[in-house]
Order: sequence, then structure tokens, then C-alpha cells
Amino acid sequence: MSHPGGLPLPDLSDPINAPHWEGLNHGRLLVQRCLECGRARWRPAEICPTCWTPGGEWIDFPARGQLYSATVYRRAMAPGFKDHVPYAVGLVELAEEIRMVGRLTSTEPPPVGTTMTGAFLHVSADFTLLAWRPVAE
Amino acid sequence: MSELFRGARRPTIAGVGTTAQGELPGQGANQIAVAAIKLALHDAGLRPADIDGLITCKNLRSNIGTDEQIAMLAGLNPKYSATLDYGTGNFSLHLAAMAIAAGLAETIVLCYGTNQRSARKPFGTPVGGGADFQRVSGLVHVAGPAALAFNRHSHLYGTTSEQLGWVSVAQREWAAMNPLAIFRDLLTIDDYLNMPIWVEPLRRPDLTMISDGGAALVLTTAERAKHLAKTPVYVAGMAEQTALRGDQNADNLLRPWLAQVAQRLWASAGIGPPDVDVLFIQDATSVWVLQMLEWFGFCGIGESGAFVADGNTRPGGSLPVNTNGGQLSEAYMWGWLHLAEGIRQLRGEAGSRQVEGAQITVDCSSHDFLKGAASVLTTLEQL
Repeated sequence: MSHPGGLPLPDLSDPINAPHWEGLNHGRLLVQRCLECGRARWRPAEICPTCWTPGGEWIDFPARGQLYSATVYRRAMAPGFKDHVPYAVGLVELAEEIRMVGRLTSTEPPPVGTTMTGAFLHVSADFTLLAWRPVAE
Repeated sequence: MSELFRGARRPTIAGVGTTAQGELPGQGANQIAVAAIKLALHDAGLRPADIDGLITCKNLRSNIGTDEQIAMLAGLNPKYSATLDYGTGNFSLHLAAMAIAAGLAETIVLCYGTNQRSARKPFGTPVGGGADFQRVSGLVHVAGPAALAFNRHSHLYGTTSEQLGWVSVAQREWAAMNPLAIFRDLLTIDDYLNMPIWVEPLRRPDLTMISDGGAALVLTTAERAKHLAKTPVYVAGMAEQTALRGDQNADNLLRPWLAQVAQRLWASAGIGPPDVDVLFIQDATSVWVLQMLEWFGFCGIGESGAFVADGNTRPGGSLPVNTNGGQLSEAYMWGWLHLAEGIRQLRGEAGSRQVEGAQITVDCSSHDFLKGAASVLTTLEQL
């Protein structure tokens, strides 16, 4: 599935998030794991929110989880989304208590609780959007 | 019950002022705030020289509304002043109550003025942190997370969009009796269901319309309030809770931490849900009303949809809610107008929407998915 342009893109040069965005370009979901307490964390941050240790290593994380809830935008609620509606957004609960919001690939969201997997949608040469679809799809 | 809410220094509301709401073109936010202050002082029978405390709040994502700007504009040199970044009525009220209890000031005016509609402030932004990740996913505007929250609730408890619609329908019935309200034309449940869906299942009436307006309160001690113009309205309890870690909290869309606000609120006032005569819920979206009804114990968890659809919150219902019409029908004022309406209900000044014998009101407010606050107000000296 391709993705329409015109998205308000994140700041790809922000050093805190840059490794994550770069990982998506290669079809990988990268998150940080604390080298002191071992906790995986989301979103990226300078320190571990559990033990306050600086840094952490970037690890490949399984792009898989359960759909917690979903909705469909039928109206563009902000500039930049006119060409996108209708589109669906969901909250996915991954392993290790990581929760991610993301675009869903279908405008007919599957039921809450469905096991979802990541789909890496290439928006431009330097940006890939992580979207979610049911594993069986 | 907390000692803060007893005795001669008990924080007491002596005045309330509200400007016209809607569109106030040509007026700056600070000018609107001062207009509200003037109305509140007049209501209390006080002069500017009687004020020794000032609490203001900034407009959303701007530096407009600081104590420095407003005191300069109003020519005030208060003993104590402060500015809140996000001063929903309750958060400002709590700070003022603390300042009075601590003896920093005797008579504080707290205010909010905004020209956010005329100034075309953008509200289609993500809420609650992680803006880059939310925006790129399209989770923009408070409607998005509110819809996710509703759909989770619907999955767990079977809540329907028709039940949700009754929140807006009931509040419009109240608004029809409120001259201050922007939306006063009755809305039937069929009208509601025939409106286009914006963010499933939310429709236009489920969301606050951005508006201009001002509101101010005068807070003083119980001792001083006794000698002023209006019936004293006492602060009988207050509580707050944050969830500043945002969406990394489990179930944060459902905001379960509001139950902690409720638990401490009831403990601080020594009352419970059955004692409440009129309830106010700050309603950026209609979904907030369902959540607050449940977490504050006005109905069981999962039962708010049926509770509202059964008419409990409508005029004549068992629990009048947002008798001003709420933000959904009256105006978008961060809960300030809910406080103002509560004070007017307690004083018996609410006209045709007056709830007979109202003696205890509760105000529940929240800063989206990050903070909650609530207060108990009463005319009962012994509470």
C-alpha cells in the first residue's frame, strides 16, 4: 500500500528520534532499551524514565501487538490531512508495556483485540510511516 | 475533612464576572480578562484597591495572559500574583485557595480572557505529548483520542453513539435557558444522529466550538465574605491528580486516574455523590462527561451511556449536569463558566434553569489526558 503525500512530517533531524525514523526506512522498528535496568522505552528519550540512566541502546523491537482501540477520521481536523480522509488511526499495545498510536492500513478497522503487525509505508525518499494491519491480512 | 475548609480563613467566593461569549473581534485577550475582573469586582461590591492577589492564565500555546501583562493593564500592584500555563477554572481556584490559606493574600481575583476564536488559534494539534508521532499518524485534534477513548469504552461496555448523543442533547436543553450560551436552539437526538460523522463516532455537537470570552472570580476569606454584597460560596473540598506520563500509562485514554481525584475530593469535603445537587463537568468533548460520571461515582463503571440516555442529566432529571450548557453549548472557557454557573446556581441566580434548593455543587475538570482537578462549592457554612 502506498501513502499519499502532503503529510506533516516529523523533524527527522531531531537527534533523540532520528535513529527510530531511520530504522523505519529499512523496515525495522527501533526502540531504546536501558543499559542499566533493561527496560524498553517508548517514546525515545535522553534518559530512562524508570531509573534515570542516560542513553540506552537501540534494539529491534517486534512490530506486533493488540489493537486497543481505533477510529476513522472522516473530516480533516488539521491542515495537511484533506487529501488523507477518510483514514483510520489506532492505539496498539506491543510487548513490554509499549503503546504506540499509528495509522491503520484499512479505513474499516478490525475489532478491538485483533493482533496487528507493522506495515512500513514509504512516503518519501527519507521518510517511512509505520502503519498497522491485522496479521492475517 | 480538611482543616483548610473551616474557620474564618476558609476560602470563599465573593464575586463572579462573565463577559459576552462567542466572537469579540477587536478585543485583545488581556483586555477581555480585565473586563471580566471589573464585572467580578462589581458583583462582590469591591473596588480595585481591595484586591491584594491576582492569578491569571495564559492563552493556549501563547505568552498572552501573564500576571505582569494583566496587572499592568489594570493598574494593580497586588501583594501576591501568579500565572498558570493552563488555568482551567479549577486549577486557578485551587492555587488561589492555597494562597489565601497560607496568608499570602486576603482577596484574590482570578481570571481568564481569550480571543482564541477571533485570533484563529490552531486547535488541530495533537494533545498529550509525543506530538511528532501523533501528528504523522493523523491523530490530530482532541477529537481523535476522545474517539479512541469512546470506542474502547464501547468495546468494553457496549456504549452506543446514540447514548453519547444524549450528552449533547441534554446540555442543549439547559443551554436553551441560558442567555450567555452561544448555542441555544434545541437539538433532538434525531438531529444529532443525522449529522455527519467527523471522527468516528463523534459529530460536531460532541466537540467544543472555539470561542472568545472572559471570566473572573473573587476569592477571599469566609470572614471577609460575610460583609460583602453576595451570598458567600464556600470552597468545601478540592483535589487533583496528574497523569503526566501520558499515553505510556495503562488505559490512559480512559483516564482511570480521575477516580483518585474523586476519592480525595469526597474525603476532603466529607460528602459523596448522593449529596451533590448540581454537577459540572468540563467538556472539551462529550466523551469527558461519560468518563467523569463514572470515575466520580455518579453511576457504575460502564453505565454512563445508559445513565445519560435515561435522561438523568437533563432538566428535571435526577442529577442536573452542566446547567449552563457546558462547553459543548455555552462557550469554550476551560471550565471557568462551569464554576460561574455553579456559583449562580448556589446563589439562586440561575433564572429559568435554576435547580431548586441547590446547596452543593461539584466541578470536575481536566487538562486532556494529563491532569485532573475537582472542587466542591457550597453555601452551607457547616459543610
